[in-house]
Amino acid sequence: MLKSFIPRQSRSLLRPLNSGAPSAFYLVPRRGFASETPEHDVIVIGGGPGGYVAAIKAAQEGLKTACIEKRGALGGTCLNVGCIPSKSLLNNSHIYHQILHDVKNLEGVKLNLTQMMKAKETSVSGLTKGIEYLFKKNGVDYIKGTGTLTGENEIKVNPLDGGEAQTYRAKNIIIATGSEATPFPGLEIDEKRVVTSTGAIALTEVPKKMIVIGGGIIGLEMGSVWSRLGAEVTVVEYLGAIGGPGMDADMAKTMQKILSKQGMKFKLNTKVLGGDVNADDIKIKIEAAKGGKEEQLDADVVLVAIGRRPYTSGLGLENVGIETDERGRIVIDQEYRTKIPHIRVIGDVTFGAMLAHKAEEEGIAAVEYISKGHGHVNYGAIPSVMYTHPEAAWVGQTEQEVKATGKPYNIGSFPFSANSRAKTNLDTEGMVKFITDKETDRILGIHIIGPNAGEMIAEGVLALEYGASSEDIGRTSHAHPTLSEAFKEAAMAAYSKPIHA
Amino acid sequence: MSASFRRLSNRLIGTVPSAPLRRQVLTRGIRATAANNAASNLNMPALSPTMTEGTIGSWKVKEGDEFSAGDVLLEIETDKAQMDVEAQEDGIMAKIMINAGAKAVQVGTRIAVIAEQGDDISALELPAEDNAGPGPKSVDKKSAKKDTTSPPPEDRPAKVESSASSTPDTAQNHATPVTPTTPSPSVAHLLRTHGVSKEDASRIAGTGPKGRLLKGDVLAFLGTIEKGWPKELGSRIAKGGKLDLSNIKIAPPKKKEPAPKKAVEEKKKVEVPRDSELKVEVSFSEVLKVQSKLQATLGVHLPLSSFITKATEKANQNLPASPLPPTAAELFDEILGLPSSGTPKTSRGTFTPQITALPSATFVGSAPSVELDIIDILAGTTAPTPAKKALPPHSGIAATEPNVFSLVVPSIEEARAKVFLEKVKGYLEKDPGSLVL
Repeated sequence: MLKSFIPRQSRSLLRPLNSGAPSAFYLVPRRGFASETPEHDVIVIGGGPGGYVAAIKAAQEGLKTACIEKRGALGGTCLNVGCIPSKSLLNNSHIYHQILHDVKNLEGVKLNLTQMMKAKETSVSGLTKGIEYLFKKNGVDYIKGTGTLTGENEIKVNPLDGGEAQTYRAKNIIIATGSEATPFPGLEIDEKRVVTSTGAIALTEVPKKMIVIGGGIIGLEMGSVWSRLGAEVTVVEYLGAIGGPGMDADMAKTMQKILSKQGMKFKLNTKVLGGDVNADDIKIKIEAAKGGKEEQLDADVVLVAIGRRPYTSGLGLENVGIETDERGRIVIDQEYRTKIPHIRVIGDVTFGAMLAHKAEEEGIAAVEYISKGHGHVNYGAIPSVMYTHPEAAWVGQTEQEVKATGKPYNIGSFPFSANSRAKTNLDTEGMVKFITDKETDRILGIHIIGPNAGEMIAEGVLALEYGASSEDIGRTSHAHPTLSEAFKEAAMAAYSKPIHA
Repeated sequence: MSASFRRLSNRLIGTVPSAPLRRQVLTRGIRATAANNAASNLNMPALSPTMTEGTIGSWKVKEGDEFSAGDVLLEIETDKAQMDVEAQEDGIMAKIMINAGAKAVQVGTRIAVIAEQGDDISALELPAEDNAGPGPKSVDKKSAKKDTTSPPPEDRPAKVESSASSTPDTAQNHATPVTPTTPSPSVAHLLRTHGVSKEDASRIAGTGPKGRLLKGDVLAFLGTIEKGWPKELGSRIAKGGKLDLSNIKIAPPKKKEPAPKKAVEEKKKVEVPRDSELKVEVSFSEVLKVQSKLQATLGVHLPLSSFITKATEKANQNLPASPLPPTAAELFDEILGLPSSGTPKTSRGTFTPQITALPSATFVGSAPSVELDIIDILAGTTAPTPAKKALPPHSGIAATEPNVFSLVVPSIEEARAKVFLEKVKGYLEKDPGSLVL
């Protein structure tokens, strides 16, 4: 296996030498300020979950592929400063919290934050190295540097380690540059005290008071982490519900109740007017969204989690005339093509939900459009998961959305408090909720709050993908005693009656 | 509705130079341009300029099968070569007219009828041909696209009936219809409990992803629920499966860096511009003098209105630049060097004063100022102001008394409007003669 990629590797080492000196074989003079390399079939700009998956898939399809990444590590936001490190913290902080509060006969439980951060870093570096290995295994050229489009088939790369810019040519280009946290106007991010998710996973001590601006998934997850570790967390949300606009209203309410019980505070329908960063604390001015009296909150750390925006700076879109919409998303068609059909765009930098797994799906589909002429992503069956404890997960439509269509529907729900496994695990918060079409029993949406909801939703996604009815699930055997029985019983509740409730 | 064939140079499968040739046969493309719920004929293609007839080697799709663009439909043999005929578009094989093995089929002869995906093939009108019973769902089609336009909902009730009553065409060359190999648990249960025979079951059209038979389809077949609904629901859900790319608002082709930040800040402290009303008193005494002078010297009676119109026109020239930021459309026009197009923005272009005689001044304030809401501001609409109010009947002007010229404008335009009114006043009171001469 090693053998197979050595030639390719050495080739890439030789490239600058080969092409740096004027060659007698070049009959046509080329523009000389950057050195040339052989043309690739596909070059992916960005090595995040969308980009690296696209690159590996392209290489697997037999295309000569390169992936440009400027972070110095593959995996993008997700792996380096997003999903993965936050899950490490969530897992460990949950264990700490459980030992501290649920285990009665233990004394002297102390938090070792340094150790916790080290565990996080080990997971992250292990996984990023893993992708690098996959690149080698599949023969993807990994270009470390910042890529800028200079022509329809041309990308100039400024290498990370300095040195001369190189120009790469590609028949197809896939842009997967992702997104960055949207800053809050009037609050300067220093990633120490005013932080985005990036800083929130790397605090060096547990803040006494923390304000989270934005009650979406990122805000609630990071708020959970620091709340469990001892911070007094207040979440300020402009909308009337937590979880972001995609969350089912019932679920959002249930979740808020659960998190409140855990000690987090919520200020919904509240707008943040601005903040003052002083030497020893940060003051945040808030006001009811509909207008009202001004209030002031103070905190040691403020997490800005109001959303993410597409990241295209330095990409050189203007050099090739690719358009963005007013929110900065690159404009594409259903096959991810820009105006220039061989430049495709996937992931956060374009339309659709900003989710790593959505970007992955698109990465595969974009490559299949290139290699096979047809790719497929079902946007109606992309799950969302919030990794608080208990977790929240959902797929398909929310009850609000179904209600808005005006067609009759059924709801089937089942609480984990009636599930034998949840009971024995002493982990009974949450429920499963099915929304089905009243006439045909076809499942329209599934919403779960509960232990391991993120794993359980996979069955729901599969059900939607196959157009299943709740009866299909109700007639499928689920092992006893497992949490998944609650899933089955909720399905039964939708078309008939559950047994255990 | 004839299928047009695309002449292809011998296209190799796969776009990748390094990809191995999957087949040794040449591949041909077919384009079936079928309208919704209408069949189109698939004629014997000419695979080379000299080909006049060929043998149908084998059909790769059965009647009722869905196929995707790129799927091989059939193999054609000539004395020179054997070629695959590929579908250019997604569709359903509605009916095969000439079975495999037929020799010396003339080019241009109809060999099959193709329908669009989602069409009810049993309800299709086939010229001079009987409908074939709807076939089984396609079981193993790779990635059948679900982006077919939503089918007309009204064809559904008819369909189930017709499919229930139609007799299977035994003359066809495909296997007898089969039930889906693995009906889902609820489907299997329903079929059993209602004693639906295998044959009947095979005729139920599936509306699930890739034509899968769903519980709703069986319920509709049994008449428990409205017949058209499963299909409609299916197409609704399929619609949600696509990335929503409607309503894309392209960012103005300007520097993008500062723009998004600004937008965020602006949102925070949007001041809702309120309209303000400006008034100025104008005396017509000078105008009347000129008017009578003109009548005396030239014998022409010029109405007051023409003085006012002229003054308005003149005052509108060379006003200070509007403080309103240009709209995206205007910027775009500017970049392209086009004259500003679109509906003139009244508050930016010209002002038209409202004139009221002072005695009836109570009437002045009655024009309510329209408050813009946030959506209007974001959408760039301005208040329906001055121009909308046409000049009031001139009977409202009292020739001898002072009259009030009033304007309703957004507050940011106030300064400009003031200049305008002062100019009008100046023209009418100082030197009205120059207006008309």
